[in-house]
Amino acid sequence: MAIVWLALGLVLPMAMAQVENPSDPSETIDTLIEAGYAKVSIDRNSLEWCTDEQWIRRLTIDLAGRIPTLQERKEFLDSPSPHKRLEWIDRLLQSEDYVEHFADTFDTLLMGRAPTPKINERRKHWRPYLENVFRQNRPWDQVAREILLARPESDDQAGAVWFLYERNDNAQAIAEAVAPAFFGIRIDCAQCHDHMIASEIHQQHYWGLVAFFNRSKNQKTEVGPRISESAIGGFSDFANIHGSSYPNVLTFYQSKTIDEARPEKDSKQEDLDELYQPSANPKEPRTPKFSRRQKFVEEILKGHPQLAPAFVNRVWAMLMGRGIVHPFDQMDSVHPPSHPELLERLSKDFIDSGYDIRRLVRRIAASRTYQLSSKPLAGVQDPSAFAWSIERPLTAEQLVRSMHVAMFQQVDHDLPLLSDLRDRIPEVLPETITTDISDALFLTNNSKMHQMLLAASKPEGLVSQLAQNADPKLAIEQMFLSALGRQPSQEEIETVLDFVQRRLSNKASVDPKGVWQNALWAVLTSAEFRFNH
Amino acid sequence: MSENSKQTHSNPIDCGSPEHRTHRRLFLQGSMASGIASVASFNALFSVPAIAQETKKQGKKCILLWLCGAPSQFETWDPKPGTITGGPFGAIGTSIPGVQISQLMPRCATIMHKLSVIRSMSTEPSEHFQGIDVLTRGEQPRPPFTRPILGSVVAQQLGQLDSPVPQFILLDPCPDGNEFRSFKAGNWAGWLGAQYGPVRSGGEYSIPDILRHESISQVDHEDREALRKFLSRKFENDQRSQAAAGYNAAFERVKGLMSCAPLFDLDKLPEADRQRYGPGAFAQHALQARHLIENGSTFVMVANGMPWDNHVFQHEMHQMLVPELDNILYQLVSDLEQRGLLQDTLVIAMGEFGRTPWLNEARGRDHYSKAWSLAMAGAGIRPGVLIGQTDPMGFEVTQDAIDNRRLFATIFKALGIDPKEQYDLPDLPTFHRVEGNVQPIEELLVG
Repeated sequence: MAIVWLALGLVLPMAMAQVENPSDPSETIDTLIEAGYAKVSIDRNSLEWCTDEQWIRRLTIDLAGRIPTLQERKEFLDSPSPHKRLEWIDRLLQSEDYVEHFADTFDTLLMGRAPTPKINERRKHWRPYLENVFRQNRPWDQVAREILLARPESDDQAGAVWFLYERNDNAQAIAEAVAPAFFGIRIDCAQCHDHMIASEIHQQHYWGLVAFFNRSKNQKTEVGPRISESAIGGFSDFANIHGSSYPNVLTFYQSKTIDEARPEKDSKQEDLDELYQPSANPKEPRTPKFSRRQKFVEEILKGHPQLAPAFVNRVWAMLMGRGIVHPFDQMDSVHPPSHPELLERLSKDFIDSGYDIRRLVRRIAASRTYQLSSKPLAGVQDPSAFAWSIERPLTAEQLVRSMHVAMFQQVDHDLPLLSDLRDRIPEVLPETITTDISDALFLTNNSKMHQMLLAASKPEGLVSQLAQNADPKLAIEQMFLSALGRQPSQEEIETVLDFVQRRLSNKASVDPKGVWQNALWAVLTSAEFRFNH
Repeated sequence: MSENSKQTHSNPIDCGSPEHRTHRRLFLQGSMASGIASVASFNALFSVPAIAQETKKQGKKCILLWLCGAPSQFETWDPKPGTITGGPFGAIGTSIPGVQISQLMPRCATIMHKLSVIRSMSTEPSEHFQGIDVLTRGEQPRPPFTRPILGSVVAQQLGQLDSPVPQFILLDPCPDGNEFRSFKAGNWAGWLGAQYGPVRSGGEYSIPDILRHESISQVDHEDREALRKFLSRKFENDQRSQAAAGYNAAFERVKGLMSCAPLFDLDKLPEADRQRYGPGAFAQHALQARHLIENGSTFVMVANGMPWDNHVFQHEMHQMLVPELDNILYQLVSDLEQRGLLQDTLVIAMGEFGRTPWLNEARGRDHYSKAWSLAMAGAGIRPGVLIGQTDPMGFEVTQDAIDNRRLFATIFKALGIDPKEQYDLPDLPTFHRVEGNVQPIEELLVG
């Protein structure tokens, strides 16, 4: 066993790293992560590596949002290519499953979970746009610009307006969403006062960010939903807790202040036509000559020092189980990065590559760090050393789709259990992993969960195949391979066999499908299935 | 829920059978000490008949009315009538001569001799998240270690883990609540482990998916869970997985919780009681807390989102919120007393800090942690005691400032838990139940 591990786990990643360009950021990742081990007295020789079958499960869940099919697993394991891990990363990055999974994740991170009617609205506008971002690998800085400027220049940009549109003219809600989504910081508590703990986040940043969006209004046009912008108004003062008040000038965290003439107090501004650009397209809302949103994307967003690190840190957290800054969306002075140079180098590479999302994902997934075993090193407490692959719960989408793959060897993006499970397990990239007893109740008793299992008794489903298998031992192997991507141990075979045989033999009338359905339930609700490791 | 309620009800049996328990233990120990687990011992796990048992346990208990958002001390326990900070409401006399509380609390005024009040709370954090953290855990955070929340500690110390009735319950009908919402998403049980986390209920007054699916027989239901547990524990042990440990701990509690589904059904409570407590969700959940404590739970925390954070129209909001609290506290203390439970049940009503003496521009009171109040009654607490004083306008504590550590030392002592005990856990720095070797407030404790 040890020899197999050595061959699969240790030799391969190193061989892979050698074929990479020495300036490759994967090498940067490994060098800097490994340099960090010394600081916390971790011996590099004590590191353990994942096997090929562990790796393909981990990667497929991370990039494609589901477990691999038996066919994919076999193809990968059988491949003689010395670069097969890298090849598989590229293959998944080109798949529609990658598009769907990243669109899911970013939808939740940027917009939050929402009830079904809202999700359906998003499907019309926002979702196709988001999917295109990942399908066409659009540069993140341009995507950010399109979303925040919200003046689509072509049909395929139209969905970008939805980030603002769904927030329904609520400029505070917009500001509170923009800060974590694009800058990796939370500013909510700077509403009433300077951030008490992260003292660099000021109340003026909050109200400044609000001001960039407080002239914007939702407008239904014949070309679709749009965000208009007024040329006047949006001036106010904000009071701090000591009773002093300040004007809400156009400014933001780590940015300059944009000059804008403020009208005298109590004077009336007139909304004159001359304050707007001559209309190029009468169907589109008119654009003010001084547009706060335009100022924001051109002078605040463009080149903002947090734009790249926020994205890098988030993708790192998706693939590594926690951010270089943790939590990933609180990149402030209270939460210093565990590996500052790594964050900086990856961010620079991200910028130099033209905000190339696929390249970033590829580099992290191809690193040796990504290929560590998920077993924590004995005696090491701090997960931020990244000395093992940090286990992470599957999102609602990953979990349901993985169940479906296990049961049907097919990918289906739209499953009935999805909306219920999104409500039950809303988290994406949780700060700490906790399981509520209500999650356990859901998986145990929920009727839609039950129906999903029942469906596997259809002729093409796994339960039906297991029940037809004349050799229950082989059936158990099939169940483990389908759901967990590995062979069962001898102890597991005997235990499941006992469970199955007792029931099949005790009652003549028993339905074999019911027996296997219960066995499959036990596998699909086991911790091994629930987490990516 | 309507769909669920049609399903057959599981029998209220629990894992109290000594035989069953022995096997469970064997199994657990077996899989933990790898190699010892034998298939033979595992086989006996399936379909072991269980015997119902008396689950109520005598011992101290606690109900925390968690006034999240932070109520104003001026409109509750420390009125300053006629001063510029005092607000529009007056003060009224109470059953303790010479002691006045806000006129918004006429019912509590009549049982003041059964309550005890600290008017000199003085704590550090004045932000909700940090305040909630410190006033529910008792201590400032020290990452990466997470101190367990009060309910988890009490459940672990006084609760009966084998009881099917959850030992720590959070009743909170409002899943939202700004910072409290994010706090609720965090790790409550901390280093004690997920099995000491709360069972959460509220909203629809019952727990979703608590009933067994009608097409799964009780035997199948139990056996497939035993199989799930075998596989899942094996993974937990092989991987040394903390996430799996928490996950498995949650499943450990499913059976017990399912067996006490009726306890979470408010419709089963007498209508007259429901009327007395009042129509609001907070009131109904306070009544449910009483019911759960009566039936064997150890710690029930009742919250309702974060309604007390009245930065806007403080007086108008408090005019609604305080009388509701007044009635709830009155009913709860009176009920517990009538049932002979008060001497064993500690009731605490508090938030994460108080509110400013001054008003902001929106006629709200903002956060104020320097001088605020809370109330307690019942187990281990000497009734009718007032601790501390603030100056005439409520800016500063002038006598007996009490911080979170002394408060927690007092709560633990009242419940018969040693505040100074050291946590005995592997891989942890030295932590005590209450840090700093502080003294409980002796005047508050029954001799």
